[in-house]
Amino acid sequence: MRRRARVSLIGEITGLSRSKAQAYFELRDAEGAVPGAIWLNDLEKLELPAGGLRDGAEVVIGGGPEYYPGSPQSSPGFRFRATHVRLAGEGDLLARLEALRKQLRAEGLFELQKQLARPALPRTIGVVTAESGAARRDLLAGLQRRGWAGTVVWGFAPVQDRRAAPAIAAAIKGLAARPEVEAIVVTRGGGSLADLWAFCDETLCRSVALLRVPVISAVGHERDATLVDDVAAVACSTPTHAAEAVVPLECAEARRSLGRCLAMLRRSGEGAVGIRTRHLVALARGPGRALRRERAALNQRTREMRAASERGVGERRAFQRRLATVVLERAARRAAGPEDRSRREALRRAEVAFRAHDPERTLERGYALAEDGDGEPVISAAAALVAGRVRLRFADGRVGARIDHPDADPPAADAGGSEQDLR
Amino acid sequence: MSANEREQSTRAEPDSYEAAVERLEQIIDRLDSGQAGLRETLELCREGRALVEYCSGELDAVSAGLQELRLDELTAKLEGA
Repeated sequence: MRRRARVSLIGEITGLSRSKAQAYFELRDAEGAVPGAIWLNDLEKLELPAGGLRDGAEVVIGGGPEYYPGSPQSSPGFRFRATHVRLAGEGDLLARLEALRKQLRAEGLFELQKQLARPALPRTIGVVTAESGAARRDLLAGLQRRGWAGTVVWGFAPVQDRRAAPAIAAAIKGLAARPEVEAIVVTRGGGSLADLWAFCDETLCRSVALLRVPVISAVGHERDATLVDDVAAVACSTPTHAAEAVVPLECAEARRSLGRCLAMLRRSGEGAVGIRTRHLVALARGPGRALRRERAALNQRTREMRAASERGVGERRAFQRRLATVVLERAARRAAGPEDRSRREALRRAEVAFRAHDPERTLERGYALAEDGDGEPVISAAAALVAGRVRLRFADGRVGARIDHPDADPPAADAGGSEQDLR
Repeated sequence: MSANEREQSTRAEPDSYEAAVERLEQIIDRLDSGQAGLRETLELCREGRALVEYCSGELDAVSAGLQELRLDELTAKLEGA
């Protein structure tokens, strides 16, 4: 049997154990497993990196089948005797990953999750991650930065060994079965493709694709592209970004926005009522204003009419008065007739007679009038003697004169102290 | 839309926060347009205030304090019940 052809097998190391001379393991893939062993001497010659051969490691082993006939204390058995081991290169995994990716895309499984509506503000989110790890802490910090403090249901699961994929799938399904969970985050930190291989598991990815709850994946770093990223609703590069994706709303800003909306609504409501109220008040005042305007116009016309009427009556009265005067005068003249003329003639004659007796006329004829000191006429000789001095009033003026006794000598022409008052 | 239908739509609880915000934006756009009459304006304001109240309630619900539960414990409790 040792001469059988050598073959190479690819698989994942599980159940690794060591004795003094050999290392035992199972080489497992999706189809099943093969028991294998390698002499420690052979293993040391390979100079694998420390910890290279471990549970969960993807390896390529060379060797052939071996039959162990057994001993009195042990059972016989077949196993794969490995003579050469090398860690599977990423090229092997990437080739398998691309083949699977192509298949799932062709089945349309990449689109199903992306068509689901994601809540802007979930009250409860489910998270699948390792119980102890930076991803858990980073996700919580991200949620806190969003101002989100709802309910987190943790679905803790191993994220790196061969048990990881079924455990992750079970946790996701368990979370999706809870009605209060509105979105699920699957996250772990970065690593090699082999480390992240659980998140490329076909069964896991098919399960995620068919869920009716949106799944946000944040597995590895930005350069790591696992298959669960492809089928998830959203693929994020870090747990922090996953927090922003699972709670798209920034809660503090949302509160400020609501405050602005409320203020706008209040302004609109009050404004709409206010504008219309002012309009109605203006309309209600309209008739009153119109009445006052008409009343003022009416009063003005009344005053104008009264003034016009009074002016007309006055003019009419004056005209009537003038007319009456004219008529009366005419009537009076008609009534007076000849008598009036005779009276006028008598008056004229009386005026002539009166003028004939006017002392001035007499003085003009050369007479003189004697007056005392008070201007009273001295009309007798006795009165003249008593007065002693008189004034003689001629037509052209007055002169003073001294009255002597009739028997006394007449005064000399130059001795008289007469006074003259010519006017 | 009749008055009854409008009243019913005003009272209806929004499906989600984002649906409430979307409706709120529609209301504000309509009010901003200045084309709504008095009755419509007052109804929109009433509906808008109800939506703001709903959204505030949703924000309050996720602001009370982080609560952490374990799926395995919840499942165990469910199976034990």
